[in-house]
Amino acid sequence: MKRILTVDDSASVRQMVCFTLQKAGYEVAEAVDGKDGIAKAGNGKFDLIITDLNMPNIDGLQLITAVRKLPGYSFVPILMLSTESQAEKKDAGRRAGATGWIVKPFNADQLVAVVQKLVK
Amino acid sequence: MSSEVSTMSSVGLEKARGDLQWVLAATEDAVNALVAAFGELAKDANSILHLASTVIDCVEDESVRSVLPNVQALGGTAQQFVGERLQATSGVLDTVTTETHLLRQLSRVTESQAKIALEIKILNVHTKIEVAHLGTVGAGFEYLARELAEFSQSLAHSTDELTGHTHHHKIANEKTQSMLAVEVPHLRAELERVELCLNDDLEVMSSGLNRLFSTPVLFKQSAEEIAEQIAGVVVAVQGHDITRQQLEHVHEALAVISRKRPIDGDTEGWSDSDIAFSHAGLAIQISQLASIRTTITEWATQIRMCMGSILRISASELVGVGPLVLEQEQSMSFQLSHIDSLERECQSYGEKLRSTLEGISNLSELVKEHIQKSESARNRLRLLTFNSVVEASHLGAKADAICVIADGIAEVSVQWGKISEQSRGALQEILGLSEKINAVMATFSQTGSKKLCEAQNQTKTGLDRLRSAASFALMQGKKIETLTSVMRTKSNKIERASELFDTCFVRIDAVVNELECMKLDLESKHPGVRQRYDESEIERMFSASYTTQAEREVLRSALNGTVFTGVPQYATGNGVELF
Repeated sequence: MKRILTVDDSASVRQMVCFTLQKAGYEVAEAVDGKDGIAKAGNGKFDLIITDLNMPNIDGLQLITAVRKLPGYSFVPILMLSTESQAEKKDAGRRAGATGWIVKPFNADQLVAVVQKLVK
Repeated sequence: MSSEVSTMSSVGLEKARGDLQWVLAATEDAVNALVAAFGELAKDANSILHLASTVIDCVEDESVRSVLPNVQALGGTAQQFVGERLQATSGVLDTVTTETHLLRQLSRVTESQAKIALEIKILNVHTKIEVAHLGTVGAGFEYLARELAEFSQSLAHSTDELTGHTHHHKIANEKTQSMLAVEVPHLRAELERVELCLNDDLEVMSSGLNRLFSTPVLFKQSAEEIAEQIAGVVVAVQGHDITRQQLEHVHEALAVISRKRPIDGDTEGWSDSDIAFSHAGLAIQISQLASIRTTITEWATQIRMCMGSILRISASELVGVGPLVLEQEQSMSFQLSHIDSLERECQSYGEKLRSTLEGISNLSELVKEHIQKSESARNRLRLLTFNSVVEASHLGAKADAICVIADGIAEVSVQWGKISEQSRGALQEILGLSEKINAVMATFSQTGSKKLCEAQNQTKTGLDRLRSAASFALMQGKKIETLTSVMRTKSNKIERASELFDTCFVRIDAVVNELECMKLDLESKHPGVRQRYDESEIERMFSASYTTQAEREVLRSALNGTVFTGVPQYATGNGVELF
């Protein structure tokens, strides 16, 4: 079973990501902020990461930069799930190494379709 | 007054921040509870949809769908089956009537035969007397007397035989007639009853089956609507992340406004930019709070709509349709067994008729044999007449009496010829009857019954499948009913969670009122305060931490003195933009 890590300081968003992806047959782990996310990514192997942008301690961009340096994470897809929709923010995400961008709220079917495509 | 207001404002701002802090925590709790509950509801809705799909698949099975046409076909075949037999039975009745007429004719023939036999016997006696009277000269006529005696005996025997058969057949005929008198109306009534009952049952079953076919589909549509509403709520409450940030930003902004005031009290001594900053800041936060309130109202509306649908959805129709169809299926099966017994009745009835009608064939054989005997007897009579006349002419006047006897024999021969003709006519009619009988018996043969059996088997298979489908629908319906009940229970918990939103509205409204009072106070003390905004500076200061386009739009609307009406649409959610 493919493993996905969701990183968000909002418990309800994490819950919704978990619910959506578990229903689609994925194993989903949760991290409450960027720091927690990096730690969990380092301790286990994930096939995809979905992270918020604005989070306490370490934000989403910093998380991507750090995770990309971890062994085995160079090509792991990382999606940003944020309330931000500005082009410059997206560009920053792309430069940090994000694979894609989702503006909250997400469409469950489309999220599942993209995750399926990315972790195939 | 102004000092009082300022003091109140300072306290008011802190109180407003406290209220917002409470709203933040309350919405967080409520949303977390809602997400968990709606996640569960979505699972339940999925299970219900799955169950409803299995019911639809089951009732849409070809053999279930073909039950009605099969029953209709069976009805037609059964009606044809019984109808043909009814027609054949009417044919039997005609045959029996004709036969009665023939039997009467045969009775007349046998009566005539009996008379002829008697006449021949008398002629035999006269011949014997004359032979005795003639003495040795009449020895040649002894043969004639013997022949007449034998012929008389054989004729009497044949007549008795024919009379016996005719009588026997007459009795059988009477039995058949009385049986037909009972059976034909019975068969006709049964045919009408089968037709009527089948039509009634078909009509009832048709409506039952339509319900069986349509109810799961309609239920599934309702369940799909609910599933969509649940998905809509799940998407909508994702907006909480935006609302939470908005609330946090308002909370922070109020602290900034509070800090910006140099004195906690009168605005006297404030710079124009301070007053403008405070006024603009208050206006922005009021707009942000209005936008938050609108968003939460949207959630509450969606949640209540969804809960309303959950409370309204009922599987009772789905649960009810199973027993209804089962009941109708039982009634139809009863009709089927009735057709079955009617078929058996027709078969045994056919057997009875067959044995009765076989008598006609026997009779025709007997009459045929009798006619053959009659022919040879007539030839013998003619020969006897001829021989008697030749012998008598040798004897001359002595044999006058023999000549009279010979005339008598000739007369009997003529009469006999007439009787033979009558018998031949009767035989022709009997042979005609035999053909009719063969046609009648063909109707009662296995062919018609086989066709009916096939139609019955097809219908039985369809009804078996229907019974399973209805039982399955009932079983699944009960599971769905349990699930809908579970959903209703869960929706009660959601009701409690969403009630938190109502309390949030009260708090938000209180904060907005407080801020509005402060803003109005500033406007009354500093007319034209709106014109003193440095918009770019204010936007820079307040929007630094903004993370959504909606927040920025609200800010601009507030600075323009307009109301931001664009409530974010969360109906479907956003897609993924891959880099």
